[in-house]
Parts: sequence; C-alpha cells; structure tokens
Amino acid sequence: GTSWGVGGTCVNVGCIPKKLMHQAALLGTALKDAQHYGWNITQPIHHTWSVMAQGVQNYVKSLNWGHRVQLQDKKVKYFNVKGSFSDPHTVRGLTKAGKETIVTADSIVIATGGRPKYPTHIAGALEHGITSDDLFWLKESPGKTLLYCVYMELFFSISLTGASPDVSLECAGFLTGIGLDTTVMMRSTPLRGFDQAQMASLVTEHMESYGTKFLKRCFPTKVEKLESNRLEVTWKNTDLGTEETDSFDTVMWAVGRAPDTKTLNLETVGVKTNSETGKIIVDASEATSVPHIYAIGDITEGRPELTPTAIAAGKLLAHRLFGQSSELMDYDNVPTTVFTPLEYGCVGLSEEAAVQCHGSDNIEVFHAYYKPLEFTVAERDATQCYMKMVCLRERGQRILGLHFIGPNAGEVIQGFALGIKCGATYPQLMKTVGIHPTCAEEVTKLHITKRSGLDATVTGC
Amino acid sequence: MGWEETQVRGYEEFVRTAQRYHGRPIFALFCGDKDAEGRSWCPDCVTAEPVVRKELQNLPDGSVFIYCLVGDRTYWKDPNNEFRRNLKLTGVPTLLKYGTPQKLVEEECFKAELVRMLFTED
Repeated sequence: GTSWGVGGTCVNVGCIPKKLMHQAALLGTALKDAQHYGWNITQPIHHTWSVMAQGVQNYVKSLNWGHRVQLQDKKVKYFNVKGSFSDPHTVRGLTKAGKETIVTADSIVIATGGRPKYPTHIAGALEHGITSDDLFWLKESPGKTLLYCVYMELFFSISLTGASPDVSLECAGFLTGIGLDTTVMMRSTPLRGFDQAQMASLVTEHMESYGTKFLKRCFPTKVEKLESNRLEVTWKNTDLGTEETDSFDTVMWAVGRAPDTKTLNLETVGVKTNSETGKIIVDASEATSVPHIYAIGDITEGRPELTPTAIAAGKLLAHRLFGQSSELMDYDNVPTTVFTPLEYGCVGLSEEAAVQCHGSDNIEVFHAYYKPLEFTVAERDATQCYMKMVCLRERGQRILGLHFIGPNAGEVIQGFALGIKCGATYPQLMKTVGIHPTCAEEVTKLHITKRSGLDATVTGC
Repeated sequence: MGWEETQVRGYEEFVRTAQRYHGRPIFALFCGDKDAEGRSWCPDCVTAEPVVRKELQNLPDGSVFIYCLVGDRTYWKDPNNEFRRNLKLTGVPTLLKYGTPQKLVEEECFKAELVRMLFTED
C-alpha cells in the first residue's frame, strides 16, 4: 500500500493530515456561516480534493525532510531499512533493494507503532478496501465513501481490540464537511459505559444532522468491484435481519490498529507480547521482558495510542539511560481530543471509570448544555454542545475528569489538564473567573448536577 | 551519463531553464549577485558555494544543477520579489531539490553532510 517518510504515524497518516483535512472541512462550514455575518459568497461552494491533498501531502513531506535534517544535524545515524532481531543485541536490516546492514547495540528501543487492520471475514476487503493510511494520500477524491468500524465508543483507550472508531468518525466528519456522500457503518453500539456512550452519541448526532449517514448495527459480508469500477457492498442489518446492498467509490476500513510485531523476530530474543493484541508488554520504565530492550508508543500494551505520550516516554527513557534521571512517565490524566466536526476533548476519568473506582455515591457530575456565541448569528444548531465534570463528593471535591464537546475542544481542554494534574478542586474552579465571551468559561460556571435532574441548559448573556 | 550544470540569472531565466529540464532531477543553488571581482554581496553565499560545489560529484546520474543568481541586495530585500513569492525562498543561499519540499537554507548549506544528504537521499 502507501509508504511514507520519517516521522511515524502521526506525521504521515495520523494527527497531522487528519487535523489539516478537518480544518479544510471546518473552513467549508465557516464559509456557509460567513453569509450571516455579511460576506457575499456565491453558493453553492465547491471543494477540490486534489488541491487540499497536494497542500497537505507537501506539508507532510516537508516535515519528513525537517526530521531527516535534524537527525543528520544531531549526528544520529539513520538506516532506512526493515529491521528484525538476530540476537538480543543485534538488529539485522534490509534495504528495499535487499542489501543487508547489521547493527549491534547495548540498548535497543522498539518504536515501530501500529498499522490499520483489515477485516478478515469480509470477501474482497483486502483487494478493494483502503484504510486511513491510504485515504490521506489519495491524489483524487474518494467520492462516495463507506467507512466501517466495529464499535462506536470514544476513548476506550485501554481497549482490548484497539478499535479506532475515532478514526472512522474523524474521517467521515471531514469527508462530509468537504461535500462528499459519506456513510459510517458500525457493527455494534456499546451496552457498557453510560457516559462514553453519551459523549459518542452527542458527537454522532451532530454528524448526522450535518449530513453523515449512519448504518448502525450492520456489518458488511462482501465487497465486489463493478464494471463501472465502483464497489458494491453487501451487508447484514442485524436489527431488521435483512441483507442490503449499495455501491460506493471508496470503502475504508477502521476496524482497529495492530502492531506489526510478527516480522520483528521478538520470540527469538525473548521479548514478550500480549497474545491477544500482539503488543509488547512493558513495565513502568518502558522495559520489555528483556532488560536492555525497551519499547515506546503505539506498539506497547496498555498505553494510550497518542503522539505526546510516546514522545514524552521516549525523552524520559533517554534521560534515565544516559542522564542520571530516575523519572518515570506519568500516564495519568493525559488529555486528548477527537477531531470530529464538533470536537470532543477530555482529561481525566470518564464518568463510568469514576463510578467504578469510587462508587456513584461518592462522585458528583456537573454538566451543562451551552451555545457558542459564534453559532448565534450564524443560526447554527448547538444542541450537542455539552460539557461535564466529574468530581469527588468528599476530600475537597477534587476534579476527576472534564469532558467538553464543542468547537476548539483541544484548545479548551489543554489548560484545564494542568489544573487537574495539580489536583484542582471544584471550589477552586468556582473561584476561577471565566473569560468572556468564550465557550471555555462555561466550565468555570458548571453547577447543575446530574443527580439533581434539573435542566442543564445554560441561560443568560 | 553524469550530471550537468547550467547558470542563470533572475527569476524568469530560472523558470524557463527548469521547465526545459522537466522530467530530470533538478537541484538549484540560489545566491546573491556577484560583483566585477566575482564576489557575492551575500557573505553566507560566499561560504556555502565551495561546500556545495565539492558535493556535486554525489549528484545522481541525469541530474541538472542550476546555479542561479537572484539579483542585487535591494531586489532580494524586497519581500515581494518573485523568488520569495513564487518559490517561497526565505533566504540566500538556498539549495533545493526542485519540485520537492527538500531544501537547505543559509547555514544549513555550510554543512557538507546535509548537502550530500540532499543530493543522494530520496
């Protein structure tokens, strides 16, 4: 499939191209809003995929080059080879042309990440479908697109299957936003986890109201190529017990990511992996079952699949190995955001995790439905703009988690992550003055509890 | 087959020349104009040129090396000159692989290993 340069998943087929395309879609919505603010924009507005793709792909390539220059400048030797272990201190690499390089080392860090999985029981999945790896690098528009994911839950970060519905929702979001006919099909909606289901349904409701089609509790059985070059997908609707078909230009699988550990030869050197996920088991110091072999990033078991945590873990590891430090990576209260059309940012515990940890009697959930000021003149629906904060009822009412759905969710949550890291409490938050007029200020005004059952819609100003 | 060098002056001549060699790998070094004694008004260009020239032997077969004088100091300082506007150059010297985001700017051009990397890596 698609190949790319230095920088890992984030730079090449993850965060970077995803956020840029999300921005492209947001700009489309902004152009529609602009009319209400007095701009004369001829409708309907059109989007050209190839212009966006070229801009995004060129930027990614400039990052690849920037990384390459930095490595060279810092005198880091770079071997562009496919590696595997020949013994615990030796890595054997092969270039594309088949030339072999042998490298020995005292310490080895494995950071080969994960790749999107292909479904195994759907005929035609491999031959005719693509994954997010390919989507960002298409030169031509994907056209009418079907995205398939197994679960619909957000941030189940320590999930067993590593299912990535975030990817399917984010991609479906920007594809819809740039004007493409987009459908998300999902096999199951979760029965567990009240609150993640709540956040997930607000996000998807918003997407539905903006034109993304959802086929819930359906799963594909086969994908065939038609003479027109379109793809015909057949699926089972488990609610109705029927079989249905439709044709698409593109089918994208988002059924989870898995580490590519098979080719690394880990068993030979004794590095243990989780038998179900294939991920490498590490301890708090990122060490594998072999003391001088470490692993960081998406390839490690039980860690969030996020760029900043991988980078931080790597830096701290370097300091411990060579800088006389003993500081370990802190994986608690890692803030994160899903960049769906209406973004969802959060830090700390989910409501469900807090209940599991402390018991529902010991936690208080404050929540509010709010309306961003910018939506008013633009006559935009803010029904799904929502936030909630989970606190302890005793012990100073420490804030356990904050969840925010709205524009610029990542920017909003980032600052609050510091507060939570410092052990901020509800009374301290109430003493924090809000910035007006913003969406973030509504966090400082949270006071309606779920327990009270009162209407949580923000009024005033 | 080796590689070949061509020297140009000014934006239009550069674009015409690059178009003429379309299809072949094109590397370009942009420097400030030289005076009658052959010295550039740009001191960094004076430092970089010999470093770059020494690495030219590493150019892939079939490459074209365009040595481009951009203009005098006043022209260069204008934030709207065509090199800045169309080629997105931010400084001289700039050494780049035409049609890609791969480039080295100013002091980066003094480093032989970086120049070699630009010439030899994909």
